[in-house]
Amino acid sequence: MVVVIIPALMRPLFGGVNRLEVEAATLDEVLHALDERSPGFYDRLVEDGRVRPELAIAVNGEVYQMALHERLAPTTQLTIVPAIGGG
Amino acid sequence: MTTVDRPSYKVIGTRPIRPDGVEKVTGKAQYGADIRPPGLVYGRVVRSPHAHARILEIDTSEAEAIPGVLAVVTSKDFPIAADKIEELGESAVNLRELSENILAHDKTLYHGHAVAAVAATSSQIAEEAAKRVKVTYEVLPPVLDVRDAMRDDAPLLNENRRTKSMDGSLSEKPSNIASIVQFKGGDVDAAFAAADHVLEREYDTTMVHQGYIEPHNSTANWNSDGTLTIWTSTQGAFVVRAQVAQVLKLPVARVRVIPLEIGGGFGGKIPIYLDPVAAMLSKKSGKPVQITMNRTEVFQASGPTSGSHIKVKAGVKDGKLTAVQASLNYEAGAYPGSAVGAGCMCMISPYNVENFDITGYDVVVNKPKTAAYRAPGAPAASFAIESLLDELVKQTGLDPLQFRLDNSSRENTSMVTGVPFPRIGAEETVRAAIDSPHYKSPIEGPNRGRGVASGFWFNAGLQSSVVVSVNPDGTINLVEGSTDIGGTRASLTMQLAETLGVGYDDIHATVVDTDSVGHNDVTGGSRTTFASGLAVHEAGLDIQRQMIQRASALLNVPEDGLEYVDAAVRAKNDSSKRISFKEIAAKSGQTGGPIVGKASLSARGVGAAFATHIADVEVDPGTGKITVLRYTAVQDVGTAIHPSYVEGQIQGGVAQGVGWAINEEYYYDEQGHLLNSSYLDYRMPTTLDLPMIETVLVEVPNPGHPYGVRGVGEVPIVPPLAAIANAVADATGHRFTALPLSPRRVVEELYGL
Repeated sequence: MVVVIIPALMRPLFGGVNRLEVEAATLDEVLHALDERSPGFYDRLVEDGRVRPELAIAVNGEVYQMALHERLAPTTQLTIVPAIGGG
Repeated sequence: MTTVDRPSYKVIGTRPIRPDGVEKVTGKAQYGADIRPPGLVYGRVVRSPHAHARILEIDTSEAEAIPGVLAVVTSKDFPIAADKIEELGESAVNLRELSENILAHDKTLYHGHAVAAVAATSSQIAEEAAKRVKVTYEVLPPVLDVRDAMRDDAPLLNENRRTKSMDGSLSEKPSNIASIVQFKGGDVDAAFAAADHVLEREYDTTMVHQGYIEPHNSTANWNSDGTLTIWTSTQGAFVVRAQVAQVLKLPVARVRVIPLEIGGGFGGKIPIYLDPVAAMLSKKSGKPVQITMNRTEVFQASGPTSGSHIKVKAGVKDGKLTAVQASLNYEAGAYPGSAVGAGCMCMISPYNVENFDITGYDVVVNKPKTAAYRAPGAPAASFAIESLLDELVKQTGLDPLQFRLDNSSRENTSMVTGVPFPRIGAEETVRAAIDSPHYKSPIEGPNRGRGVASGFWFNAGLQSSVVVSVNPDGTINLVEGSTDIGGTRASLTMQLAETLGVGYDDIHATVVDTDSVGHNDVTGGSRTTFASGLAVHEAGLDIQRQMIQRASALLNVPEDGLEYVDAAVRAKNDSSKRISFKEIAAKSGQTGGPIVGKASLSARGVGAAFATHIADVEVDPGTGKITVLRYTAVQDVGTAIHPSYVEGQIQGGVAQGVGWAINEEYYYDEQGHLLNSSYLDYRMPTTLDLPMIETVLVEVPNPGHPYGVRGVGEVPIVPPLAAIANAVADATGHRFTALPLSPRRVVEELYGL
């Protein structure tokens, strides 16, 4: 079971909840599962086969670049956050 | 130094001489403008005198007729860039906007925006030719202030821009607000209703520049075989290569970028400005072309950091910070991409706050496109919340550091994103500040005051590649691709020496060009000592494995019966069977050939950084001049690989933060002309303006790195803005909510002028 933390501006797409649990083995499956609950969501987040560059995904608390089809651990927590640049 | 659970190291924690030190202090180090390829000619950029204007015509004929002028380029000479966002390591850029910022297409969006460029046989001819390029403009009204730009009736920089939300939706009406982010948790209304103390304030900061000493420069040679070579000053040669390849529509492999020594960057040397222009001038002229910005161009047309307007409200109950509500409006400059998202996420990260509602607006204005600047987005946000908390805490009667300790983030405290912190050292920095000689000493005398503030920065991981070659004499060459800004050749060498058990002086590190090592992301996000350090450690382990393989043949012991210890391989069960690193290296030719270790990775295990600062100031009530009497910066540095460099990073960050607090600002007239584009008028602190900045290195090792490394370069700029402002409030009894605290502002506000 993957827990997804929904950012505030996306909560209206999911009935106002701030976290969802989905059965998924990859980020792509997570986003498709969310798309089933909010049709069109996948296309809002994914461009050219990757998460939109202005967003990032934190996996169990850490933001790093990951492929859509990278395998996730069964007890993963995903958080959608704005991308960050450092100086 | 406070040490927490620190293992015993042989090399890490020592202070060897940096490998580039002698060359730099003797003037022999090569910077971008020192490069002189045969046949070199000089480029000059033509810049807009208007902050907002439509380009009606560019007539280059008069310039081209000048003897010695070899080429003139405008945006029409460049391929049409796609309106698409491209990921470039740590940052993402819209290729069309990147291209327009390099040379304006149909509109100029800030004073100094590049519109054309010339190449000539001398810099004097190039400068004269640049003046002869005739540009006809239709001048448009500029919008310079972030609040003005957000109004419905504001002049639009781009009539097609819609506000983009985090969910990808776009606003119906065009707007200067490029994007909105929001973070919500708990119930702020209920928390405010139940609070003992609630305070709301608005804060302003102005656009400021990183102030690196070395101006932007680029030398490009479009070779006869169609390849392109660029020598440049950059924080990331691979990112320059990627951007140049995209803008010029070249295959990446045909572009070679050679990074030179860098005279400061602080985030401002991640974007590209001159490289494609020099390249196109080289293509047209058939000569290598060098362009170097003067100081005015650096201020006008390279990326400073955002000015901001921040509204924040906080509530305290029984000494506990229970609620924060904030709206952060950041100037992006001419094109979207301010660090407002990071500002929102950093704002309350030092604290465990259950109820929050933080919204950020990325707003375009007629000023240069902003770039990263040390902990981008965090200092302004920290200035707002730390100033507000200082005022709130005074209402409660609590000690300001004890309040911070009582409310500190700890392991498993959730950030506003919902992401829990791993092991962090936030509270350790507050404790060390409380225990510091500075905080224990009294602040006495008229017009003197003390302020404190805390701060946070994420730090980054990203991609690194290194190659480690063992030479027959046992010395080692470390080849890496991360620009060395803050001493990373030394810090990486030290980690490799620790892994291999060899001496620091046995290793020679070199930063190479993009053809010579795998991809490395920028030296930014305080990532290089961490991420390239991970790569160096892995390459060292690779060398260890190969050493064991070679020793097996030399000692006649199976590999699984051997172990690598202290620069030697020995039999696990027979201490007499041992062969040193140098002996194995000497026999590498007989045991399989060169011993080369390598590692390429996308680093994970980033450790966040926290800091708590204490500032003492004296305010001259007659002139408004602020003198910093004493300054102590406490920071969780994970493990200080080279303590002198860590201290230097902290002191440098504090110096820049003090400048931001007291003197620095982009000063525009109503037409959007930048009026202070020189170091005479843009006042940065010098050594004469600052006391010795005391540092306290708290070491809470990062569990995500074999040596506990956390990035250290960015968080030291976060607390100084508020620490100084809080000290000034303590000294004067007046709360200043706008920066900089220049003599003029201090006097005007103190006396109601």
